Amino acid sequence: MNTKKLIMGLVLAATTLTASAAAAQDRYPSRNITDVVTWSAGGGTDVTNRVITAAMSKYIGTNINVVNVTGGVSGSVGLIQGYDAKPDGYTLIGLSESNTTAAAMGGWENRTEVFDFFIATSSPDVVSVGKDAQWQTLAELVDFVKANPGKVRVGAGGAGSLHHINALAFQKGIDGEMNFVPYPGSSASQNAALSGEIDVVITTVAEQNQLIQSGDFRPLGTLTEGPYTLGEQVIPSALELYPELKTYLPISQAIGFAVRKDVPVEIKQEIAKAFIAAMDSEEVKTFAAENYYELVGEYGAKANARMARLESLFSWTLWDLGAAKVNPEELGIPKP
Amino acid sequence: MNPLSIFAETLSNIAISPMLVAILFSSTFLGIVFGAMPGLTATLGVALLTTLTYGLEPETALVALLAIYVGGVYGGMYTSVLLNIPGTAAAAATALDGYPMAQRGEAGRAFGLATTSSLIGALIGMVFLALVSPLIAQAALQFTSYEYFLLALFGILISGSLTSPDLAVKGWAAGLFGIWLSTIGQDHIQMYPRFTFGMHALDSGIDVVPVLIGAFGIPQIMMVLESHLSLGGIKASMLGRILPDFRTLIKNARNIVSSALIGVGIGAVPGIGEDIAAWVSYGVARKSSKHPETFGKGAPEGIISTTVANQACIGGAIIPLLSLGIPGSPPAVMLLGALMLHNVAPGPMLLKQQPEFVPQVAAILFASAITMFVIGMILSKQVIHILRVPQSLFMPLIAVLCVIGSFALGLNTFNLYLMGIIGIISYFFTKLQFPIAPLVIGVILGPMADTALRTGLKTTDGSLLPFVTRPISLILVLVILAIVGSQIPAVNNAIRNLFSAMKRKAA
Repeated sequence: MNTKKLIMGLVLAATTLTASAAAAQDRYPSRNITDVVTWSAGGGTDVTNRVITAAMSKYIGTNINVVNVTGGVSGSVGLIQGYDAKPDGYTLIGLSESNTTAAAMGGWENRTEVFDFFIATSSPDVVSVGKDAQWQTLAELVDFVKANPGKVRVGAGGAGSLHHINALAFQKGIDGEMNFVPYPGSSASQNAALSGEIDVVITTVAEQNQLIQSGDFRPLGTLTEGPYTLGEQVIPSALELYPELKTYLPISQAIGFAVRKDVPVEIKQEIAKAFIAAMDSEEVKTFAAENYYELVGEYGAKANARMARLESLFSWTLWDLGAAKVNPEELGIPKP
Repeated sequence: MNPLSIFAETLSNIAISPMLVAILFSSTFLGIVFGAMPGLTATLGVALLTTLTYGLEPETALVALLAIYVGGVYGGMYTSVLLNIPGTAAAAATALDGYPMAQRGEAGRAFGLATTSSLIGALIGMVFLALVSPLIAQAALQFTSYEYFLLALFGILISGSLTSPDLAVKGWAAGLFGIWLSTIGQDHIQMYPRFTFGMHALDSGIDVVPVLIGAFGIPQIMMVLESHLSLGGIKASMLGRILPDFRTLIKNARNIVSSALIGVGIGAVPGIGEDIAAWVSYGVARKSSKHPETFGKGAPEGIISTTVANQACIGGAIIPLLSLGIPGSPPAVMLLGALMLHNVAPGPMLLKQQPEFVPQVAAILFASAITMFVIGMILSKQVIHILRVPQSLFMPLIAVLCVIGSFALGLNTFNLYLMGIIGIISYFFTKLQFPIAPLVIGVILGPMADTALRTGLKTTDGSLLPFVTRPISLILVLVILAIVGSQIPAVNNAIRNLFSAMKRKAA
């Protein structure tokens, strides 16, 4: 009798377990999600991903664990790891516009078209000079650059970074030539501008805001279509002052995450819902306001088109500079 | 509210909250473990806690982060002293005298000195952070690419001279080999692949952690197994007393002050951190000592200067972080990210809008330093029993830890091969009596020397003049020339002749 009861009980327990497991599989997400961030902890991509995924996990009810998988070229190690994971929606790939160069730089064979993107934040680039610089306005700087080709030293992150591409576009647009000095990143460029090693620095408002507000940097113009209000000052738009720039600009930053394109549509919809809810949450809004990020909140075709444009711009610029390893033409990347 | 009362209030807030005290103790302990394990570094510890403390209040998170930072820098000393395998690069210089002391049966004394010196160093760093932040931050900004290049070169040269006192050239050769290793991979300016032979695994360059572990760990493991060296017979009474050796410390007051100043100064300069601080202060301590010949053979001065400097460096590194938003050392970079996660944006505006933040941070640093001292004193007594285990039994375990440590960072199998290759090269280096430390320092500072020199030249159209026209550059150039010149017999003789000629004339 006892044995019978036990067997019955076991059978019952087993059926309920399998039933609930099956139900769990139908529901997404039924376990923790991993966000593979391709850049190091503490950077803009990492911080944005942590804030967004924390807000998303509140909405979907499971944890989203952020891991930093860095290295390779243009974050290729993390891209490959994220791409090689099962396309079941349990792996997100945290990335930024800089990852779009991975193919042209020889980091991997895939293009941005293998992903669906969710773009969370962006911060406009601003052209600034140190407080002791001789130029008070953008017009003064542009006139000086034109009169003295190659004399003005400009720092804008590393070669092939978003800021470098913005610097190149700026020079083309004003038809002037500056001496581009590459630094490992935005903060190193800003340090160099503070110590007077370079004259002009182009990085994002998010990165410069403290130094602008304290008066250490004098912002001359943003590389966006409209002016930007930072605290009490209004930074004029370089594109409004020099309409020729509009041929090449604006090129904006794009930080967020991606999933593989072959993730089932229903799951992508769930992720999109959580993403929308997260973008609308108080903590994300506070984070963006405190850190001078603009909330983008793009996904689907719009986000993919934005990343494809950045891929084309970045890859071809690097190829023209002689820095790219693989001809973008071979990769099928259209010319910008 | 004046800064002092904010400082006192923050301290009492920590002391009366059981949760904060628990966080303080567990984070410090975790930091010490991270520091002591080869491969796990203070930077990694801060990174790990950044994630774990995301949901906490900013102040609570800061307690955890600063505590693990302080613990991580301190913890590296344990493996340096006991095994001659520094747990972190910052503790590599501590091994020079710590290990000989332990072999002499004075491991307890070494621990006691290192723990007390770490406390003193951390407190001096904190005082500078609290009182003269803006001043130091401005001075640190005078460093441009030319100075960075010279500083990197100086760091490599001095570690070469210090670890190979009989023939400094051997140390420099090891340093140059390290610089060469660091050039493998895509260069940081034009992304041109150097010495990669088409292997993608080499594109991102050589990671420091597997080099650190391979270079220090593997030769030591092989030497111990080879020599059947065993400290198993050591009795507890021979381990020396752990209680702080105040007489030695008082005798070293000058050494402590100069090491702490070096630590704070180097900490405040962006991009370089605890490791260089330890080497430079070690060099200065040896140069100014009355018995420089005892250095490297178990001189307490060596332990004191290195541990004071690497802890003082923490306060130093936080100075530009808070006043300019520029982190002064690698763990401080993580700290910056963590603060931004909590919507605290360090920088000049923070000081204007929230002037209470600096005394708060200073108070947390103070609490962390005290906790480190308490845990350190308790831990030293226990850790020392490891020496009773025959090293030939213990070393295979260390070997496993080395493998895990190399793999843990980045989960990259390539790093395991790298650790093995570097380990074998280093083993032969040791056999040929070439020092290992300059090799590691070369790998760490090589990229800075390389890119800083090229960046500097690019900003001035290739002019070498700034080396002598910029005041800080000029001083560094002269110091480097003095280091190199002192090793050339002809130069040495010439100087000696010159001096004796002058003396004769004067007479």
